[in-house]
Amino acid sequence: MAHSMTGNGDLFEKLRIELRRGALTLAVLTALREERYGYTLRKLLEDSGLPIEEGALYPLLRRLEAQGLLASEWREEGRNKRFYRLSPEGEQILAELLREWNKISQSIVRLSERTE
Amino acid sequence: MMDLLDRYFDAIRRNLPAGSSTDDIVAELREGFASLQDDREASLGRALTAEELSDLIKQFGHPWVVASRYRPNQWLIGPDVFPFYERVMRIVLLVIGAIIIAAASLAAMFGDQPAWQVAPHAVGNLFLYGLVNAGIVTLIFAILERKGFPADHLRRWSPAELPDVADEQRGKWEGPVEVALTLVFILWWTGVVRWPFGAIGDGFRLEPAPIWAQLFWPVLILASARLVHNLIQWLRPRWKGVRGVFGLATAAGALALLAVVWQAGEWVIVVSTGMPEDGARSLQESLNLALRIAIIVVGIVWTLACLGELWRLVKGARGQAAMA
Repeated sequence: MAHSMTGNGDLFEKLRIELRRGALTLAVLTALREERYGYTLRKLLEDSGLPIEEGALYPLLRRLEAQGLLASEWREEGRNKRFYRLSPEGEQILAELLREWNKISQSIVRLSERTE
Repeated sequence: MMDLLDRYFDAIRRNLPAGSSTDDIVAELREGFASLQDDREASLGRALTAEELSDLIKQFGHPWVVASRYRPNQWLIGPDVFPFYERVMRIVLLVIGAIIIAAASLAAMFGDQPAWQVAPHAVGNLFLYGLVNAGIVTLIFAILERKGFPADHLRRWSPAELPDVADEQRGKWEGPVEVALTLVFILWWTGVVRWPFGAIGDGFRLEPAPIWAQLFWPVLILASARLVHNLIQWLRPRWKGVRGVFGLATAAGALALLAVVWQAGEWVIVVSTGMPEDGARSLQESLNLALRIAIIVVGIVWTLACLGELWRLVKGARGQAAMA
């Protein structure tokens, strides 16, 4: 990519990480409308173009559960695994977040069209 | 290879925050790692070598980093608190620096140690007290960060408290420096720090005239009132009425005290500790003459300051009347 060839490569990377940080929470909540355990969730995110470090995913899941947005349980499936799914409160918050996400996305599109 | 994994997850466990369900967290991380390892081995069609396993562990993350992500706070001082932290830190360090430099300057001028001995001591104090106070400020703000200070403060502040544009014309450091110098004076006057009286020269010692002991409390009260005035001027510039009253009262009080001091006619006594009596008397007369001139100059300056305060008070009252 052109930006990685220039001195702005580091800056782009920093901004990209900032941009992705909020989006990852939304992506995790969206993906957990179906029950999954950590590894399959990470694979799904990666396959969807949103890779996340293993060491970052599990603490995020714990935090979202502590906030009441996720529910979890340990279950035997080959090995003992912790399965997560969206809680009723999480579903409500996710719906609001998705509306907000769409508004932001539409605003950015409108702004970029206006300045082109 | 199990030994390596045991050591890795044990390192994470030891660094997890106290009170967290460590067994549960480690079990989940271990399962996540096992799935990752299974996946990698399935794609290779063989078991991982020790080196590949080590690479996979590195990919999973440093134990301190992985464990720290389970902490409720990911930073010591966040972006909302940082502007307040930075401002307070600057002020505290500046006031401490001003006090130490002022104390060292007075000690070098009037004390019994030469400047080349005072300077390294002052530099040492600057580092020591600077470091200790920076640590204390950081600790206080780290606690405030956890107690939700920024949200609370940002909800309560009022734009009406912002200073007038004209108030901003004062130097950025004028307020803290005035406060620091007044503090130094109070510390000296109350005997917490001692110079220059009692200082010695070749064969003589300087002592204050009795008038200073008589005026101890009036001067202390006046200096304290001036400190309050300086603090208001610095931290609450919109309190113009209170500031004006304090400014006028302290300037008028200072002039009254100066008149009493002037009437004493003698302000310093030279006690001979070896020099001839004639010489001590002559030195005392010279010093008192210098002080007489200094009192006249100070009297003129304070009179102008008093008139200035009065003018500001009248101007402020007129401005408020016009706005009403």
